[in-house]
Amino acid sequence: MNWGVRAVSIVAAVGFCFLIQTVSLGFGADIQRLIALAGLYVTLAVSLNLINGITGQFSIGHAAFYMIGAYTTGYLSIQFLKNSGMPGPVWLLLMMLAGAIMASLAGLVVGLPSLRLKGDYLAIVTLGFGEIVRIIVVNSPFDVSFFGVFKFFTFPNLGGAYALDKIPAIRELWLIWLLAVVCIAVCRNLLKTAHGLAFLSVREDEVASLAMGVNVTRIKVTAFMIGSAFAGAAGALLAHYETSILPSTFAMDVSFIILTMVVLGGTGSITGSALAAITLFALPEVLRRNKEPVTGGTFLAIVIGVIAAVVLIRWFQNEYHGSKNKKTAGYFASVAASAIVAFGLTFALNAIPALHDKAFEGSKLRMVIFAGSLIIVMLIRPEGVFAHHEFSWTWLKKVLRIKPKSEALAT
Amino acid sequence: MLRVESINVYYGAIHALMDVSLEVGQGEIVSIIGSNGAGKSTLLRTLSGLKRARTGSIQFMDQDISETQACDIVSMGIVQSPEGRRIFTNMSVSENLQLGAYIRRDAGVGKDMEEVMQRFPRLKERIKQNAGTLSGGEQQMLAIGRALMCRPKLLLLDEPSLGLAPNLVTEIFKIILDINAEGVTVLVVEQNANRALDIAHRAYVLETGRIVLSDTGKALLTNPKVKEAYLGG
Ligand SMILES: Nc1ncnc2c1ncn2[C@@H]1O[C@H](COP(=O)(O)OP(=O)(O)OP(=O)(O)O)[C@@H](O)[C@H]1O
Ligand SMILES: [Mg+2]
Repeated sequence: MNWGVRAVSIVAAVGFCFLIQTVSLGFGADIQRLIALAGLYVTLAVSLNLINGITGQFSIGHAAFYMIGAYTTGYLSIQFLKNSGMPGPVWLLLMMLAGAIMASLAGLVVGLPSLRLKGDYLAIVTLGFGEIVRIIVVNSPFDVSFFGVFKFFTFPNLGGAYALDKIPAIRELWLIWLLAVVCIAVCRNLLKTAHGLAFLSVREDEVASLAMGVNVTRIKVTAFMIGSAFAGAAGALLAHYETSILPSTFAMDVSFIILTMVVLGGTGSITGSALAAITLFALPEVLRRNKEPVTGGTFLAIVIGVIAAVVLIRWFQNEYHGSKNKKTAGYFASVAASAIVAFGLTFALNAIPALHDKAFEGSKLRMVIFAGSLIIVMLIRPEGVFAHHEFSWTWLKKVLRIKPKSEALAT
Repeated sequence: MLRVESINVYYGAIHALMDVSLEVGQGEIVSIIGSNGAGKSTLLRTLSGLKRARTGSIQFMDQDISETQACDIVSMGIVQSPEGRRIFTNMSVSENLQLGAYIRRDAGVGKDMEEVMQRFPRLKERIKQNAGTLSGGEQQMLAIGRALMCRPKLLLLDEPSLGLAPNLVTEIFKIILDINAEGVTVLVVEQNANRALDIAHRAYVLETGRIVLSDTGKALLTNPKVKEAYLGG
């Protein structure tokens, strides 16, 4: 890549972050917070994708690294920010670095077993690691001693099961999104180097990679360390945005949500992870803000509509042998028909008093949405929405059926 | 070039290689024949550092490599095309070849890529294609081409003729001879004893983890014991 393109990309990325910052100033504090959290989830999903999707190491404890970053830097800020006399953004940058370092050291510790363990076994270790980190925080402060005889030191008070609060507030939306952009850029550029292929080859076949001289050990540990460093930096940003953090903010379900984002987006696809992160984060929030509860009738109608759509799409995928264009038309028709049916059913079903009176709050449907979208994607596109594709301008042109100039001239 | 001295290799309690010793000289083609489960693949895996010998020593170009890491062994010039090809099926043909040159940082990679294409014109036609969609024979060519991209000094081939039609087997063995003529030393493991002995300068017979015979390829082809056990009488 030439330097001109690079410079333009950098300027565009920074501009994009300030644009988000400026636009969000027009909204209230609650919407700003959502924009911030969405950015953090993009970082989390893209960084897990490096470990999970690209390198193929099945890790389901990503929230632990997020937590390590948040608690380390939250504690440091409470202790030292006042006396340091540093301006907020500079301190925050420093904290991101601290969070990244701590989390990537933890990533090293977790990465090491991945050299020996595969698939499910590694998943169990990472899951266990997440719980260990959480339990350490919940039980703080405690003495670290040799069977109670020999006291080494006292693990600092991180708020225990309650919140670690009074963290100084430093809210820099642009930094949050800059981290997301940097995370995407690092992963993307990593894939473009000679080492990038090596990451993918480890996912594909470890033995063959070894036979080609790939240092599989180093690749795995590197993936874990880079991935968790970004999660740690995201944690630092979260701590200073929220000013108060709880162990339950980083419970297992958060790890699973991040994992869901990676799987739905298409394992290995950076674009997919980023877009899935935004979508899956935004959907439940939209529901939550919609104060009107969802009635049983509406809910049932949506479920029936979704099932109908899935069944129809699968029929077009497997049983219908038309041209590609006709198939695509079939998919759209399936979705449209199901939507119309669901819409009609809403009225019919809500006419039944038992269904109309039973109402769900939007916020309670969060997990239903995650589970539902996972099932749908697994049924109609098991490789994830983006599969292993990435967004690129040539790809966009191909989708829009515009031939690149050189080819158009040739034909 | 390569000297293996009484190595013993175990899988847990299974004693897969017993006091195996062998030698490969610069510029030779050496074949190892043996039936299923004799330990042929285990031997190649041990040479590549994918498996460790419990006792014994392996010398390559006067250096002990029995403790060397797999990736460093590749850098020293021993490259394996593993059993069952093990190409990267979700990557394109060209990416597979690029991975073959992973350890190299020199400028000659592009030129070597061209050479591999010339050697295997079928790969050239399918350069952008997903490697998983290649036919068995094309996959074998890719596996060999990928190994050649490392510029090996010693090429280890594990059953290159596995599952190929007779005319393709002939083609593959001809390619092995060509590669050798260009100066690459080859150690080939085969079930197709006839062909393997035919092209080999020297050969070893491996039986349940032990080397039971060794001689020139021609001599083993006419050896009555080998004829009965491996050449169908
Ligand atoms: N990973 C393993 N774990 C346990 N035993 C193994 C393993 N790999 C090989 N073995 C055993 O070691 C012995 C030698 O196996 P090896 O794969 O080297 O045979 P081979 O000569 O290559 O056979 P084939 O011609 O069928 O490929 C066999 O008895 C096999 O069961
Ligand atoms: Mg074998």
